[in-house]
Amino acid sequence: MCLSVATARSTSIRTGYLFVLPALLLLLAVLGFPALWSLGLSFRAEGRDGFSLEQYRLLLEDSLFHQTFWNTGLLVGLSVAAHLGLGLAVALPLNLPLRGQATLRLVALLPWVVPDVVAGIIWKWLYNPLNGALNDVLVRLGLLTTPLDWLGAGHLPLVSVILANVWRGFPFVMLILLAGLQAIPRERYEAASIDGANALQRFRHITLPGLRKMLVVSLALDTVWEVRRFGLIQAMTQGGPGNLTEVLSTLVYKQYFAFFRFEYASAIAVVMAAVLLIVSLPYIRMISQEE
Amino acid sequence: MRRRHILGLVLVTAISVAALVAAFPVGAQQRVILRFSDWHLTEDVWNKSLTEGIAIFEKRFPHIKVQTEPVSYREKETKYTVESAAGKAPDVMHLHAFSLPAFYEKGYALDLTPFIEKEGKGFLDAWYPLPLELVKYKGRVHAMPGDYMTMVLVCNTDMVNAAGVSPEKFPATWEGFLDFAKKATKPGQQWGLGMVGAKDPGFSLRFSPFLWTFGGDYLTADLKRSALDTPEAKEAFAYFVELSSNHKVVPPGATSANPQDVRTQLAHKKIACEIGSGWTAPIVNKINPDLRAFEVLRAYPLPVKKKRATAIWLSSWIIGPNTKHPNEAWELMKFITSKEMELKWFKDNRVTSSRKDVSGVAPEILNDKFAKVIAAELPYGKVEPQIREWPEIMDVFTGAVQEALTGAKTADRALADAHSRINAILARRR
Repeated sequence: MCLSVATARSTSIRTGYLFVLPALLLLLAVLGFPALWSLGLSFRAEGRDGFSLEQYRLLLEDSLFHQTFWNTGLLVGLSVAAHLGLGLAVALPLNLPLRGQATLRLVALLPWVVPDVVAGIIWKWLYNPLNGALNDVLVRLGLLTTPLDWLGAGHLPLVSVILANVWRGFPFVMLILLAGLQAIPRERYEAASIDGANALQRFRHITLPGLRKMLVVSLALDTVWEVRRFGLIQAMTQGGPGNLTEVLSTLVYKQYFAFFRFEYASAIAVVMAAVLLIVSLPYIRMISQEE
Repeated sequence: MRRRHILGLVLVTAISVAALVAAFPVGAQQRVILRFSDWHLTEDVWNKSLTEGIAIFEKRFPHIKVQTEPVSYREKETKYTVESAAGKAPDVMHLHAFSLPAFYEKGYALDLTPFIEKEGKGFLDAWYPLPLELVKYKGRVHAMPGDYMTMVLVCNTDMVNAAGVSPEKFPATWEGFLDFAKKATKPGQQWGLGMVGAKDPGFSLRFSPFLWTFGGDYLTADLKRSALDTPEAKEAFAYFVELSSNHKVVPPGATSANPQDVRTQLAHKKIACEIGSGWTAPIVNKINPDLRAFEVLRAYPLPVKKKRATAIWLSSWIIGPNTKHPNEAWELMKFITSKEMELKWFKDNRVTSSRKDVSGVAPEILNDKFAKVIAAELPYGKVEPQIREWPEIMDVFTGAVQEALTGAKTADRALADAHSRINAILARRR
């Protein structure tokens, strides 16, 4: 009897692996192989065979890479912080039993549905200093006297890109937090109200602790997304003006496809992957602990 | 029974013959499918013209079917690089000249020398010498030249008149041009010149004439060092930047304006002039037919500071290194660059040819009000340095222009930084 249960279990496990196998093979083919290939390329000197740390030496000396790394940190840090703030601010009212709740949720999700490149083009139009809608509205409201060159004046381009990025990415965080909010039992709020807790106290002592895991998940996933953000920036500025909005993803693209420096581009990509791995560790650890 | 057998045999034979006929079409010649990729396929005017050309080709070569693959101008190198590396590049591809060295070095352009040799001696005599030089790598021909044009100033004569300048006496110097641009500018409404300042392949074509007419250059003659530290280069750079920062004769937003944005500004009378070429009038006409571009616009040689110079635009055709049909691809390439088709490209799209027997003799070109100015500038035309590092150098340089335009750095500082970075790129090469 015991033996047949064990056999059935082993068959079931084998069947499980068989089901997973096609997806695993596909992942290895489209992700694993290119990743290993890039890793190999990054340890080669340009035009020479054999192992070399040349590309990593160049990375350390390259001021453009340093600036790009800093730009990426700034863009990701500010975007993720804004996503969390805005995502939570929108998720809280959307969790209330309002009329037209489904429509409101749909509207809040719309920016996330727009493809990255399309979002970039839309914002480039909005920011256009000659006939962009943003300047027009701000001038009509009396908030500006003359139109601003949002993508070309001083340090404004990075701020403009971050603004567009906040609009583009906050629904993802909002969605995760909304799911988290819905999982918090209503009874806790009722009990707290009976005990005389005000809204701020309920938020601080029930909502925030209840959302802790979801906040970690959204923080980790959003950071990974934002480090990889490419289409929006490429469509809006191509990393310019100067290198003010250059981020790691646009730099890798440029080095690879415009300058044909495959080895150097691979080294940047490897560093980028290592950073992403470090960022995702808390998330991975949390998932493993749950299992 | 026997009759049934015979009937069966006839039926089987008929089916077999039908199957054989289907498998081997008429003439026992297999139908070849050629993949043809060109950024022009995304443009209305050119697409129509190319589609007609391909139809003529397919009629003459019934065993060849041309499958078109549009690609955006900016993304063509990306697409072709990836496809070439994967051995899946289109059979025939269109590139601009400054991408060629990188494609040659990577082995992404098939050696055409054997085909040219088969065509017989003197086959290449029909082309101008400079384009032929640019399509050679280590003495072998790896591409065929296509459009060959110079950059000129294209102005709206109505706006020139309105600025109090006679279109017949348009300024020939940069000082004179600045005076005109100031007169043509009405702050917040219209400006004297449209400026391409975005990181775009079209930037260098429009900036280089400034540098060269001021007597400067990007690199030293041996192409080993940056030449941006010369007084001439500094003067040209400052002049260009100040058009926007000091004189405000260009519309705001230059750092994100690409050539199409500037053509749109010209089409809607936001700017009086832009630096363009043969393609400008048809595209502007398409954007705003009410402007009557062919009547209102006029081409002028670029103004001069120290010497007459302009940038040369050259497009080229290459055959993918992994093509399974090299002979058919060569036939298509020969057809596209034939005298007959080069004249058609001009008639439809107003682009002049790299063939002497077209641009130098065709009355349609010699009498065209735009083409004759463009052709007259050919002796003063210059090409950007043909080195693999050029796209990287140009990215650094465009970045410096943008930094100066946005005020992130002074013009001198931005140029000095670009000079150092370009030297570092060239040092890596050495």
